[in-house]
Formats: sequence, structure tokens, C-alpha cells
Amino acid sequence: MHMRLNYVLTAILSLILLTLLAGCGQQQQEGSAKQLTLAVNSGVEGDALKQAARDYEAQTGVHINIAEFPYANLFEKELVDLNARTGAYDLIMLDDPWFPRFAEQQVLTDLKPFYEKRGQSGPDDDFVPNSLALCKHPYGTGALYALPYVGNSQLFFYRKDVFQKHSLKEPATWDEVLAAARLIQERETAGAPGGGKMYGYVMRAAQGNAAVADFMPIFWAFGAEMFDASGKPAVNSAEGVNALRFMLELGKFSPPGYASFNADEVSAHLLQGTAAMSINWPAWISSFNDAAKSKVMGRMEFTIMPGAKSPGRAEIGNWLIAIPRDAKNAEAAFDFLVWATSREQMKQSALRGNPPTRQSIFKDAEMIAKFPAYPAQLRSLENSRPRPRTPLWNEIENSFGIFLSKANSGELSAEEAMNQANAEIAKIIERGK
Amino acid sequence: MWRLRRQIFSSRDERALPYLLVAPTVAVLVALSIYPLIYSIRVSFQTGVGQRAAWSLGNFARLASDRFFLDALGHTLVYALVALTFEFLLGLGLAVLLNEKLRGRNFFRALLLVPMMLPPVVVGVVWRLMLNPNFGAINGTLKGAGVNTSQLTWTASPKLALASVIMVDIWQWTPFMFLVLLAGLQAIPQEPYEAAVIDGSSRWQTFRHITLPLLKPAILIALLLRTMDLLRVFDQIFILTEGGPGFATETISLYIYRTAFRFSDFGYAAAMSFVLLILTNIISLLYIRLLQRQESA
Repeated sequence: MHMRLNYVLTAILSLILLTLLAGCGQQQQEGSAKQLTLAVNSGVEGDALKQAARDYEAQTGVHINIAEFPYANLFEKELVDLNARTGAYDLIMLDDPWFPRFAEQQVLTDLKPFYEKRGQSGPDDDFVPNSLALCKHPYGTGALYALPYVGNSQLFFYRKDVFQKHSLKEPATWDEVLAAARLIQERETAGAPGGGKMYGYVMRAAQGNAAVADFMPIFWAFGAEMFDASGKPAVNSAEGVNALRFMLELGKFSPPGYASFNADEVSAHLLQGTAAMSINWPAWISSFNDAAKSKVMGRMEFTIMPGAKSPGRAEIGNWLIAIPRDAKNAEAAFDFLVWATSREQMKQSALRGNPPTRQSIFKDAEMIAKFPAYPAQLRSLENSRPRPRTPLWNEIENSFGIFLSKANSGELSAEEAMNQANAEIAKIIERGK
Repeated sequence: MWRLRRQIFSSRDERALPYLLVAPTVAVLVALSIYPLIYSIRVSFQTGVGQRAAWSLGNFARLASDRFFLDALGHTLVYALVALTFEFLLGLGLAVLLNEKLRGRNFFRALLLVPMMLPPVVVGVVWRLMLNPNFGAINGTLKGAGVNTSQLTWTASPKLALASVIMVDIWQWTPFMFLVLLAGLQAIPQEPYEAAVIDGSSRWQTFRHITLPLLKPAILIALLLRTMDLLRVFDQIFILTEGGPGFATETISLYIYRTAFRFSDFGYAAAMSFVLLILTNIISLLYIRLLQRQESA
């Protein structure tokens, strides 16, 4: 008797559970008209957008759910979610190198129809052209699938006081950088705070993104290109090998172990005053004027990339915001996107520490007073180059970075490293076809 | 009562009951283990994603010509073998030592367990700082002792990087070996030892002919568990070196992670995972064989 009763009880309980679950689903659907879900990275860029979302909520009553992930996880989450077409996110923040992959897979929403509905042809021309070009697929000319939110591009950092002390002028070429690094390292044997040795230059040569980011400005300045006119990899060209040789030469003036350095180590050396020059991202500027962290308060200067055979060009690295193709509330998402990238809101984001993508904010006198590097940042952004626009970039960057790191750690010569890198990149391209 | 039961339940019900009771477990197992396993086998035989997916043996064929995979496989095997050897010898030594009646024995036993209790990520971060060639505690100490540390770049040196990550593994996981072996030692009965004392055997003879044979099951279990862990090592290396410099400390797990989640090539990642699975299974089977032979002997 008991047995049968148990069956009945189980059945009833299951039914209750099912009803509850169904109820949950329904509730979400009913509420969805007035809510958006936003995927952001945890970091200063995501924080600014989160804050903006709170303001938007207060102004419009649209509820915004925030899904926050660390940098690497954000890409995974978005990739899996957009490909599985779950429509979990109405808006996603993405780093610009990810964009070609998402655009190629056609998982983003074309923004043009939304502008047309508003009687506009597209975004206004206050956006820095190089930033807006990143949001189009194909690059610069195709349809618009995102808007640029944070306008980073690399800057050249150097110690103003040390340069003045040795009557050095701001380096305009990589040869001048090398000469200055040599001179500083020879003379500043006790020049670091605490009487330690000062290194002429500090770079990141850990495999992957780090080594590639610090190498690309040298690579481009030496006239090298990752792909030739026919799209074949060409990193082992004479120019490419020379650029890597130069990097190894510069490495002699970088602290020991730099072949495994990432952002942490480089920032430690600069903040401790044990290195005189570096390439870095604008996000770091504020830390130099933070008394709790910095031993070089007010002594760091920021400028554009040095050149060589070709004029110096920085790597651009913008955060974009896009609407996934399967977003449940594309219309409301677009409203928020336009609002968050408007001049007023982007200024708020800039005040929270993110470089803008609008020229007017870079030129705003009030902002320049707060962020004295803005003119240099705008010049850098205007002369910046994107990483090669290919959906295979993550894999190419990884392979390229491995061989750059191997050369810097002394495992391979410049020529061997470039030849092997070229062969690996060719394989990746072949597989991607 | 018996009659009543008979009336309510037909014999068919009786036979169905066990299946019904097991059903929820089976359902969970199918959903969480069996289905993903079959799915990943399927994925490993596909190249391309979404609409471009095609059946092929390409992923497995690629393994043989992928220098990154072969390098990573080599690193994994070296890592596992060296770390296992050191962890076993050190763990055994410590277990034998702390099985004796020493003063402060309990204190040392507790102290030894600390590294194992730390999350591998924390261990990775701490060692990364300690091994930093310029600011780290290790080079700082060596410098203080008058050692020339200019070549000792640890995780940044292609020659020392693998040794450095192995050293960290040994530091963290020797306590595990110690713990399992100590438990094994304590389970050995006293009688054989008493007999050995009466027969006048030396300490080494006692260890060689009584302790080791009786400890064999514990040894094999400890080795088995550590081997499986070592072959799939990920967290500490990911934090310590992320596989670098260059490719010097990349293991299979790291390469699989990168392939799947950075390059979104799930097919190739699944194929590599199966190679790792088969490798782990073969090694585990060898241990289990040895263990069974021991038991039947």
C-alpha cells in the first residue's frame, strides 16, 4: 500500500516542480520587454559601462542585468553563447581583435536598419575614424556591427627627468630609443629609487598577446607586414627578421627574465623606477600619479610610437559594444548602445578612466586638464593600426608570440624564430580555409 | 500480510522496482557524463563548426604532424615522471620518518599538510612572485648569500622553466604522497616487526622485506592518483608561466584549453583530450594490474 502511495506522491511532486519551472520561464518572458542583459569584462572598461547601465536604469526604468566575466572568460562565454544562439545577451562588450571572428560567423546584428528607422544614415562623424573602422566587416568598408566604446592605442612611455638629465630628446626613431637605452643603462647604475640599477627599456616578451603587442610597433616601423599582397604570411621577410633582431638588441637593455614578462612585471619596473622606457596602454597612465603605487610621480612622459623605415604606428585596442544577432530585445539594446556611446555618456566613461573614441572629448579643454596625455593619445589613435583583421587572429597571435618569446629567451635566433613562425602561420591559414 | 502483498503487487511490479530505483541515478549519469562523452567523441571526428562541420579523421591525423602537440606531450610526460619520482621518494622518506615516535611529530605532520591545502591557483601566484628574477624572494635570498643570480631567471629561462614548475608541484604535492603512505604505514600490524626484532634483522632488512611489501597497496594507490593528476596538470602552470617562455612549459591540458576556448577548435581539442584519456587509462591499468597481482599473491 505504502509503495503505491509513494508513486503517487512522487508524481504529484514532479508535477509541482514542472509547473514551477514553467512558471519561471514564463515570468522571464513577460518581463523581457523592459529588461536587457549586458555582458561586460571585469575591469575598468566594464565598470564604466556597468555604472552607465545603472544611470540608464534610473533614467528610463529599463532594467539591465549585468553578466560580468574576466577578460579570457568573456570571450569564451560570448563565443559559446553566440554560436549556440541562446540569445542570452542583448549587448556584449568585445575586444576589437575578437570582432572579425564574430562578424565572419554572422552572429552580430547589422546596425544600419536601426539608424535608418531613426532617419539617420549611421553614427555621427565625431568618432575617431580608426575606431569606427574596427566596427565594420570587412574592415573599414563593410557593414557596421558595433560601436567603439573605449579608445585605447599604445603609447610610448619614457622618463622625462632621466632624459633631461642626460640631455636626450624625445625619441622619434627606434634607433634613438636603442641609443638612449644604452646610455641610460650605462650611466644610471645606481639611478633607481633605493640606489639600484636602472634598465634602459622594459618590454613584455611572454608568449602570446604580450610579446606580439610589444613587437608589432617595431615590426611595422621596420617596414614588415604579416601578410604579403596575396595574403600569404610574410613575417620572415628581411624586414621582419631585422625587426626581431632589433627587438633582441633592445632586450639586452631590458631586465633579466623579460622573455616571461607580462603586464604585471612591466608595471612593477616602471612604477618602481627601475626602467626608463616602455610601450604601453593608456589605462596605465593614472597609476603613475598614484602616490600609493608610484615612485615616479609626475616623471613619466607619454608620446607616440617611434618610427624607423616607416613612420611609427601604435597597435589599436578598442573595446566595442555589439548586439548579438539573436538578442531578444535588439531595439531596446540599440537605444542603450546609442545612449552609452553618446558624447555626454562617453565623457562620463572617460572621467571614470577610459580613453574615449570621440575626437571632441579628446579635444575638450576640461578633459585635457584632467588627462594631460589626451593630445598624445589622440595622435596615437589617429596613426594607429589594427591587428591583422582575420578571424584566425587568436591562433595566429598565439603561435607568433610563442616564437617571439623563444627568440627573446635565447632558444632560437631571430631568423629561425621568424621562419618557424611563418610556417606555423601558413598552417593556420591553410586549416582555416 | 504476505497474502496482501501478493495481491497488491503483481510479479511484474516486483521486477520493475529495482530499475525504477536506479533510474534517477542513471538519468543523471547519462545527462552529465555519458551524453557529453558521446558528444565529444562525435565532435572529435568533425572539422569546422556550425554549418561548415564535416565528418573527418582530420583531427587525429593532425596530431602526428603538430609540433606543438608533440612538444606539449613530451613536456607532460617529463613533468609527470620527474614530479612523481621526487614526490614519491620524498613522501616515503617523510612518512617513514614521521611514523617513528619523534618529539613534535604531530606538529610536523600538520605542518606538512599545509601546501596541499592551498588552492593550486594561490600556490601558482605565490611561487610566481617568489621566482621573479628581479624582485622575488628566492633570488633575493640567493643574492644575500653571495650567489650570482644574473643567469637564474627561473620561469623565464627556457632551460630552467620546466624544472621550476616541477619544483612547485613537488612542493605542493609531496604532502599528499606522505599522507597516503603514512596511513598505509599505520595500517601495518606490529607482529611482523616484533618477529623481525627477535630474528635480529637490520633496520634496512626490516624496511626492505616487511615495510615495503606490506605498504605496496598504499604505494600503488598513491602513485595511481598522483599520475592521473600530473598528466592533466593545469592550474599552477597556467598561473606560473602560462606555458612559456616560448613553449617551454606548455602541457597537453594547457594546449587543449587554448585550442578549445581561445581558438574555438573544439574538434581538435576533443581529439587531444581522447589521446590524453587513453594515455591515462593505459598507465592506470598498469598500476591496477600490479595492485591486483599483489592482492592475489
